[in-house]
Amino acid sequence: MLQLTELQKKYGSFWAVNKIDLTVAKGELFGFLGPNGAGKTTTIKMMTGLLNPTYGNIMFDGLDVWKEPIESKRKIGYIPDQPFLYDKLTGREFLYFSGGLYELPLKDLTNNIEEMLDKLKIGNWIDKRTEEYSQGMRQRIAIASAFVHKPELIIVDEPMVGLDPQSALLVKKLFTESANNGVTVFMSTHSLNVVEEICTDVAIIHKGKIIFRDKIDELHKLKMKHDSSIEELFIELTNDE
Amino acid sequence: MKQILHIMKYKIKSYVRFDSEISSVRLIKSIASCIIYASFAIGAFFFSKTLINFLLIEITVGQFLLHEFISMILFIFFMSINIGNIIVSYSTLYKSNEVNYLLSKPIEPAKIFTIKFLDNFFYSSSTLLLILFALLIGYSVYFNMPIIKFAVLVLNFIPFMISAGSLGVILLIAVILLANRFGVKRIIYTFGAIYAVIIILFFRINSPRNLVMSVLRNYPILDKDIYLGELVSPILKVLPNNWLSQTAYWILHGDYTKVILYTSLQIGLAVLLFTSAYQLGKKYYLRTWLLNHKLTGEFNSKKQKMQDYFPLNCGTTNQFKTILRKDYFAFVREPSQVIHSLVLFFLLTVFIVSVSGIKYAGLGNFYLQTIIYLSIFIFNILLITTLSLRFIFPLLSLEGLSFWKLKSAPISILKYVLSKLYIPFLIVFFTSITLSLFSNYKFSSILISFSLIVSIIATITIVAINFGMGGLFANYKEKNPIRVSSSQGASISFLISILYMLFLVVLLFKPFSDLFLSIMIKRNFDLLRLFYFTLPMLFVSALIIGVFYKAAATSLKRDF
Repeated sequence: MLQLTELQKKYGSFWAVNKIDLTVAKGELFGFLGPNGAGKTTTIKMMTGLLNPTYGNIMFDGLDVWKEPIESKRKIGYIPDQPFLYDKLTGREFLYFSGGLYELPLKDLTNNIEEMLDKLKIGNWIDKRTEEYSQGMRQRIAIASAFVHKPELIIVDEPMVGLDPQSALLVKKLFTESANNGVTVFMSTHSLNVVEEICTDVAIIHKGKIIFRDKIDELHKLKMKHDSSIEELFIELTNDE
Repeated sequence: MKQILHIMKYKIKSYVRFDSEISSVRLIKSIASCIIYASFAIGAFFFSKTLINFLLIEITVGQFLLHEFISMILFIFFMSINIGNIIVSYSTLYKSNEVNYLLSKPIEPAKIFTIKFLDNFFYSSSTLLLILFALLIGYSVYFNMPIIKFAVLVLNFIPFMISAGSLGVILLIAVILLANRFGVKRIIYTFGAIYAVIIILFFRINSPRNLVMSVLRNYPILDKDIYLGELVSPILKVLPNNWLSQTAYWILHGDYTKVILYTSLQIGLAVLLFTSAYQLGKKYYLRTWLLNHKLTGEFNSKKQKMQDYFPLNCGTTNQFKTILRKDYFAFVREPSQVIHSLVLFFLLTVFIVSVSGIKYAGLGNFYLQTIIYLSIFIFNILLITTLSLRFIFPLLSLEGLSFWKLKSAPISILKYVLSKLYIPFLIVFFTSITLSLFSNYKFSSILISFSLIVSIIATITIVAINFGMGGLFANYKEKNPIRVSSSQGASISFLISILYMLFLVVLLFKPFSDLFLSIMIKRNFDLLRLFYFTLPMLFVSALIIGVFYKAAATSLKRDF
């Protein structure tokens, strides 16, 4: 189980994340929605060890992500919003590099890499240097690298950026399958359709605060009640006026 | 022109913009930087005065030889700016994202070239300029020069640097054009070989040893301050470094006709090279930019085949080896890294060969022996500092924006630091040992061993300084290691290393002069005296290592 307690992040006098409390159960495919600048990426970066929280804590499977970083990071796979890869490495080398950081047995790592190459249909590009990749191909390699160590929690920031419809379909399938196999998926996205399509749970963050948190079915009910689309509902919930 | 000014306005705006909130850490950093810069400038000023005094009064080399030595130093300086500018210009003119952006707008490529050409001057090392100006002031004060004469020196110095920089841009354009016709590798190797030959020829023609011997042959018949032009090869007389040292010499001797002549030559050359670079850029920039894309693509696809020779998944998958392998690939697949390293190690080899031939053990004056010994020690430490600045300081910055992968991975800071430092440290460490052994092998085993111990401790400390400072001033957006090594943080790191070096020199002066005295008068020397002096050195070095390791570790925990 993933638990964020009173999580806060302050930049100067600006609260990017302001007392977030969230619980995500094992196997949930959790959609984390919010307009630009709402605090989604900041929250995710705190969860993955890239930003120090100003206050509060993040627990996964009983481990405090900031107090026991090595143990907790072993269980997490992270896909950033901008898939920067080491330019001079090929996709395959990058995946071996990623797996090596988790100290997987070589045989298992090779098998996992092959499995991910097949699932994401990366093909011959795998042996080209990543500096030659398109944004979509970089994204696919970043996704594959998050899965090679078979994590229990996948944290993903805007997974569909730069992906063509075929790749987007593969990625959605990958996340759904993972959640069905007991992997928790925490996904930040702007794509309301994706949330509607694959997520089991959803939260909306606005100006650093959680303004909605429930099962996706409840969001559907709310949508029916207001007789609007999920897009209109989202705009209504996050409207400043 | 309007467009250029418009772009420059916004570039300057973004460059000078301050953060709305000044954090205490940033404030402390800025104050510390100012103190270090100021103390170093003052140090360089006194150093130049003392050195000139030592050369002219203590060992009476005479003004002619002094200015010939200055000319040699200026030649090295010219070559350094020149080679440095080729690499920096390649990065600013051909690899910058800003150029991609500007080329997509309705702006003439010649204007983009002008903007990026001017950018090079901003990226020039401010520290180097600071040191050189401090040295120049020291020189002027020593000779009681009035301000107008100092201004004339500066007036010569600036075009000298412009010439070196502009020549770099001209050669870069020529390399790209020729590489298209004859192949990248062939042209790069040819240019590399030409540079090597020029450096070797310069020191062959202008051998300091032969020059000193020639001057001494005339002494005391002739005044050593007299200009002995016939001893200088005619080829060297047409070089800008010679013009600059000649200007300084004739300013001291009041021959203003010669001053005007050399100043005119200096300015004329700078104007010629600057205009040529500008005209070439105007004519060939877009063409060379497109060619560079084509050549890089071809080069990469050839390299692609090469990768099959490297083991991709050999051995185990432990974290240490994984990071080592990643860094190795990143290094060998970046041509500018390899070429720059080869140039550095070539110069290093030349230096090692030169110092190994120096014989001063038999000199009668123990004070002079100590000075020479410590001067060579200073040069060795300067080389170690340069190598550390080049290979250690950029280590963290070069992780780049891909650092998210490592930061989100289950790896301890200590293990990460060790795996990052392992190979670069070994390179610097063995270079340091080689330098120490080659510099001192003609001495007794006591001196060799003690010098080796000092070098090892100094190397570990300087590596720690550069790694820590590299973390504190990490710039993950800069991909070019040479630019990282000439950033403000790198300059401060360099200055801290120099302060540490000065501490060692002060500490070692007394025991070494006693040691040389005892060798001269054939008296036994109590070894313990040497080792007493290692205690404060060990203490201070351990403290510095601890502080800078902590700085690196703190920087790794910072927000990314």
